[in-house]
Amino acid sequence: MIQCETFRANVQSRDADVLEHLRKCDACLDYAVSVDPDNFFRAIGGEELVPPGGIDAFASDVMSQIRVRQAEAPGARRFLVAPRRLAAAAAIIVAIGGGWLGYERATQTVAPPVIQAVHKQPLATKPVVETYQSQNATIVEMPSQGGSDANVVMIFDDSLPADL
Amino acid sequence: MKRVSCFAIVLLMAASAAFASLSVHTFTFKYKDANKAADMIKPLLSSEGSMSIQPSANALVVTDRAENLKAITKALTEFDVAPQAFRVFVRLIAAGRAKEGPRVPEEDKDIAPKLGMLGFNSLDDLGSADVSGREGDPGIVTLPTGYRADFKFGDFDPASDSLKVTDLRLSKQQGDQLTQLLKTTLNLRIGETYIVGATKNAQSPRALMIVLVARR
Repeated sequence: MIQCETFRANVQSRDADVLEHLRKCDACLDYAVSVDPDNFFRAIGGEELVPPGGIDAFASDVMSQIRVRQAEAPGARRFLVAPRRLAAAAAIIVAIGGGWLGYERATQTVAPPVIQAVHKQPLATKPVVETYQSQNATIVEMPSQGGSDANVVMIFDDSLPADL
Repeated sequence: MKRVSCFAIVLLMAASAAFASLSVHTFTFKYKDANKAADMIKPLLSSEGSMSIQPSANALVVTDRAENLKAITKALTEFDVAPQAFRVFVRLIAAGRAKEGPRVPEEDKDIAPKLGMLGFNSLDDLGSADVSGREGDPGIVTLPTGYRADFKFGDFDPASDSLKVTDLRLSKQQGDQLTQLLKTTLNLRIGETYIVGATKNAQSPRALMIVLVARR
């Protein structure tokens, strides 16, 4: 292995001895990085960073991508012009559809009765006494408390005979 | 030009919306009377709804919103069914207020507490009968004690689960004559017990109790 003075005198060299010294001597690594930062990569075995295919190929690829995106932009802008026409078309479709639905409903015939599942709904309440012969009678209804409890209706009518 | 076409579209949409809101249905009845059906669905019509009866076809033409027509169709489908068979149990009891204490026959013990609440503690059973018939049929009950009940099996109302007992005439044989005591029309919910009491006034010492139960 070469001496530190020899290394510092040939710091830009790519000789195997110089590189070996660079990898093993921390003080000389610090010195070499201060002279040229690329020396750090050389110390870890790296070479100069060059994209695959070379810099020119990389640059032309980037430029072609830019041109493709510029070519796509006018087409997208053309679609943005259409909303008014789309809205008008939608309105016409809705109007025609609504009219057709109304016509269908108005002309449809009576559907055959459909037996539906009976849902348990609260029953309507009717008076027990719907009509009674006398308008002057007083009728008092006492509804049942549910279950087997009886409903009681009393008719108080002066026109009734005493010996019922 | 654009404004005109926009206006036309709006007009067309409004017209179609109004047209679509009301529908017309014709209901033809097989078993029930269209007039009765009209009475039944009156409460179901909306403010925009209308109907007309066609007596010759026993039909009802109903115009209303679709959601209302749905409910009306359901009600009329349940209404227009073949006459159903029912049984009506009738029992007559002479009720009085006895100072000497309660007197209740064994067969009337089921209703004695209810009548006791009304102050009637002395009961005499006047007889009972079970009458069967279909909607529209007459029903007659003749009891050996001289009482007689005539009525008609009226329409069954599915909404209230009740049978109408139409023109119930209660009469009493007095000598050679049959005297009518009262005439009424009752709505009896199926399976429930009804005690219909008739008396001159709240202080009367005597009342006639008619116990009724309608069953399928």
